[in-house]
Amino acid sequence: MIEVIATAESVNQAKALLTVGIDTLYVGQDQFGLRLPKSLTLDEIEEIVQEAHKFQKRLIVAVNGLMHNHHIDDVPDYLSKLDQIGVDAITVGDPGVIMTLQELNLSLPFIYDAQTMVTSADHISFWVKRGAIGAVAARELTLIELENIQNNISVPLEVQVYGPTCIHQSKRPLVSNYFRYSQKNEATNRERGLFLSEPKDPETQYPIYEDQNGTHIYSTEDLSLMPYLDRCVQKGITTWKLDGVLLQGDRFVRIAQLFVSAKQAIESGAYSSATFETKLHELQPTNRPLGAGFYLKQPGDVQ
Amino acid sequence: MGVKMKKPEILAPAGNLEKLKIAIRYGADAVYIGGQDYGLRSRAGNFDFDQMQEGIAFAHDRDAKVYVAANMVTHEGDSKGSGEFFRTLRDIGIDAVIVSDPALIAICMSEAPGLPVHLSTQSSATNYKTLEFWKKEGLERVVLAREVNMEEIREIRRKTDVEIEAFIHGAMCISYSGRCVLSNHMSNRDANRGGCAQSCRWKYDLFDMDDVATKHSLIKEGDDPFSMSAVDLAMIRHIPDIVSTGIDSLKIEGRMKSIHYVSTVVNVYRKAIDTYCSDPENYTFDPAWEEELWKTAQRELASGFYYHIPTENEQIFAKPRKIPQYTFAAQVIDYDPSTKMATLQQRNNFGVGEAVEFYGPGLIHHKQVIEAIWDENGNAIDRAPNAMMIVKVKVDHPVDPYYLMRKKR
Repeated sequence: MIEVIATAESVNQAKALLTVGIDTLYVGQDQFGLRLPKSLTLDEIEEIVQEAHKFQKRLIVAVNGLMHNHHIDDVPDYLSKLDQIGVDAITVGDPGVIMTLQELNLSLPFIYDAQTMVTSADHISFWVKRGAIGAVAARELTLIELENIQNNISVPLEVQVYGPTCIHQSKRPLVSNYFRYSQKNEATNRERGLFLSEPKDPETQYPIYEDQNGTHIYSTEDLSLMPYLDRCVQKGITTWKLDGVLLQGDRFVRIAQLFVSAKQAIESGAYSSATFETKLHELQPTNRPLGAGFYLKQPGDVQ
Repeated sequence: MGVKMKKPEILAPAGNLEKLKIAIRYGADAVYIGGQDYGLRSRAGNFDFDQMQEGIAFAHDRDAKVYVAANMVTHEGDSKGSGEFFRTLRDIGIDAVIVSDPALIAICMSEAPGLPVHLSTQSSATNYKTLEFWKKEGLERVVLAREVNMEEIREIRRKTDVEIEAFIHGAMCISYSGRCVLSNHMSNRDANRGGCAQSCRWKYDLFDMDDVATKHSLIKEGDDPFSMSAVDLAMIRHIPDIVSTGIDSLKIEGRMKSIHYVSTVVNVYRKAIDTYCSDPENYTFDPAWEEELWKTAQRELASGFYYHIPTENEQIFAKPRKIPQYTFAAQVIDYDPSTKMATLQQRNNFGVGEAVEFYGPGLIHHKQVIEAIWDENGNAIDRAPNAMMIVKVKVDHPVDPYYLMRKKR
């Protein structure tokens, strides 16, 4: 059974995503969660959870931030509210949140998500023993490693199959600092649409922006496992995440719809990677090339 | 005479056995080293078990501790053999291991019970609840994320009694530790497995794109390019804050650094902390300490996140605004008080007529102009050009073995 998880930027987009057949929605607030398409209010999250449940689908809320004291002070109240409104699960990366969950004794399950750090079955098993019902794999793993991990853990391994991947988070306002230094008056938020390129590779284009959690840099290509989805299923990788953090509105919904169609095609044995690949390229923004990231590499290629 | 303060541990980096001994001779209460595996400094001179045993014996004779950093973020297969590795560390007398990966923590706890575990800064522990979690798991100490400020540390100290370690000096990741894979993407080297290529210190173009994906650079001709390079951390001006906050261990970064660097930095903090703790009320900061640190500084120095979020002044875009003025020239291996002759092992070319400075533990300094040099056979020579060559020079003030000699660049 393949599960397709997609980020949602609004109540309306959430409804559209449910309509096209997304199994699980992923939303949150910037104060507690990292790199979301939009920071939603609790009222919006409540509306989305009700919509999801109408469709008999799930809602996961991001509580995967790196929490400082003032964040963790607010966590118990937030978790209680998420539990009250019927959220199905949360993602967590900070052990302080897990400790809080245990103390509150809520029925709110958590999926372990410490981003770049989640790289082995033993690591995930540590958190499964402490209550995790799933884990989000680091984006820097190979398919060989992902298969290995999934085969050695007792919970679903969430694997990003579409979208940009975060490759750097600093608490510092790195770009604002640069603009102050060079006396430029420029915005540094996501809407500003800034990119970096490497000194020796001017073709690269790493998106960079600042928000209340600091500075975030993304991969030069959007990850896409579209051509390899059938292979993923054969290897047991069936929990797919689509990340729309840099892609707004209807276009993301249409891409999500395409992945849902791909899932259905695989389940009915009618999957043709070339057809789906062509359709994805038609929908993909021109300034965001697609690539397989680390997935096709050998485990020893990056050390 | 004021009330004496509890002294925090000074924890120094030791890239090899020589650095370990120097760090302890210059006042470190503990050192951290790397083993052959499971560490994050694959290119630092790491220790095999024999070298560790020699280091442990040396340290324990002087009431100092030795920790092993095993802070790799393991992939499938990387943790193989780590149980035996941890058991061996425990059995040869290592005082603690510094780990970030929960897989390794679990292995260490089950395979080598009794070996204390410290959570590495690589795990970015930033709140009191997280420290409580790790305490409950049986960890003895948590190394805080570098992003935690002084007020936050005070609150953490009030709310938990697990040992706290914090960085007070050295180079810093500009990201949250562990949350950066620039190196993986740009150099095919895994930042979390010891391969970091320091991509943050590169120079980047910064641009936006129009509707047809044409790039427009925001960096004009003559502008410094964008970079993410952090200046280094130095808390020497803030010793009273650091000590009164109740941090148990003060960590100095730099397993790749030279004995010149390690000895200088440890020497300064030893002096400052001893001075403060012996009489907090009458303590004053001595600017000479900071001057001393500048002699081996690699970059500008600032207070990191302790008092504010770092600004453009703590990020390097242009050429470094200050560079180290001294270079390591020799180590004293013997001294004859009757002839006032010091025997030196050369570490950098120096010659007759050059102004040098000898220094030793306790922040002792002697300025000296080299008047004559004799080689091992007693022949007078103008310069000492060969690495590790043994020479004799006459000195005006007594020196001791393990004093070091630096010269102006």
